[in-house]
Amino acid sequence: MIGANRLVLGNGIVHVVGDATISADEEKKLRRRLIEKALAALQSDAR
Amino acid sequence: MRVVHYLNQFFGGLGAEERAGGSLEAREGPVGPGKLLEPLLGSSAQVALTLVCGDNYAVENQDAFILAALEKIRSANADLFVAGPCFLAGRYGMAAGALCAAVQSQIGIPVMTGMARENPGADLYREKFYIIDSGENAAKMRNVLEQMAQLAHKLLQSKPIGAPRDEGYIPRGLIRDEFVEKPAGERLVDMALAKFRGEPFESEMAPASFAAVPMPPAVKNLRNAKVMLITDGGLVPKGNPDRIQGSAATRWGAYSVKDRAALRAEDYEISHGGYDAQFVRQDPDRLVPLDVMRELENDGAIGALCDEFISTSGLANPLSNTRRMGREMAEKARSLGVDAIILTST
Repeated sequence: MIGANRLVLGNGIVHVVGDATISADEEKKLRRRLIEKALAALQSDAR
Repeated sequence: MRVVHYLNQFFGGLGAEERAGGSLEAREGPVGPGKLLEPLLGSSAQVALTLVCGDNYAVENQDAFILAALEKIRSANADLFVAGPCFLAGRYGMAAGALCAAVQSQIGIPVMTGMARENPGADLYREKFYIIDSGENAAKMRNVLEQMAQLAHKLLQSKPIGAPRDEGYIPRGLIRDEFVEKPAGERLVDMALAKFRGEPFESEMAPASFAAVPMPPAVKNLRNAKVMLITDGGLVPKGNPDRIQGSAATRWGAYSVKDRAALRAEDYEISHGGYDAQFVRQDPDRLVPLDVMRELENDGAIGALCDEFISTSGLANPLSNTRRMGREMAEKARSLGVDAIILTST
């Protein structure tokens, strides 16, 4: 469900956990940030 | 008219959960609910044979179970096959549904069963044949059997079948032509006005229904947890070994990433007809973030990353199908000892 706290907004349909427009280093940092958000969501009670 | 009736171990009188592992047995004549059913089907009806099987056996050995049951139903010269009703018993519903589907397609006689709407068997099979909405309460056995008998009669006599609410079956999603007094525009305005006035009205479009799924509790300590990656973005090994369809997929696959630090572009392809996959083809970690998960595993932020990731293509797929695949994936994850899942969706 949109807005549920177990749902992390990815970076676009074509690269949910990536970004083709930035450098490989920056892209990996972005991916790590998104996954860390997902891990935080896994540790939060669902609302 | 000769009827074969299917029951699980509980309704067949063998026992409760401790007998759920029992294989298929055949009894002459009606058993348990079959004794109520027989007179409801009319004086010419005879429950010639009752098949009884343990729920676990039927679901875990489905192919062998169905093969054995079909043989017995054939040799009983049945005119009608009845299963259950199963109420909310999930494994019972799955077995009864699978058996009804096999009898319908391979023997070609009418089939009749009853389940609660929430029974996973109803979800899987309601489009294939008529399933009387039994509700959850087995105390309604007689009412449910009456409805099953009435509808079975109509099927046997090739009489027209009414709407789900008139006949008591779970909607099959069938669209049928019907003569009506008013054209669509007028009906629509009538509905809009009724809604505006707070009066009751009935939509002609049945919206997809989503049963509430309880959210799993929070993971207490990720440092001890085994995490799995799943995607519906259609990432598959080169050659698509499981032939996962790019649209309305009926299959999914689990693929090893053991000892891998990242996904290599040359090892994978995309089977998904719903998005521009060029960026994921360049670097599959953009969809299945193995590189980062491996880092987090090495850092100790998660206990372990599961050796396999699961993939299918999530596009234009009927709910009944995706629910089945979801259940299968959950079973797979459980069998691998997974505590938490990150699902990336395109």
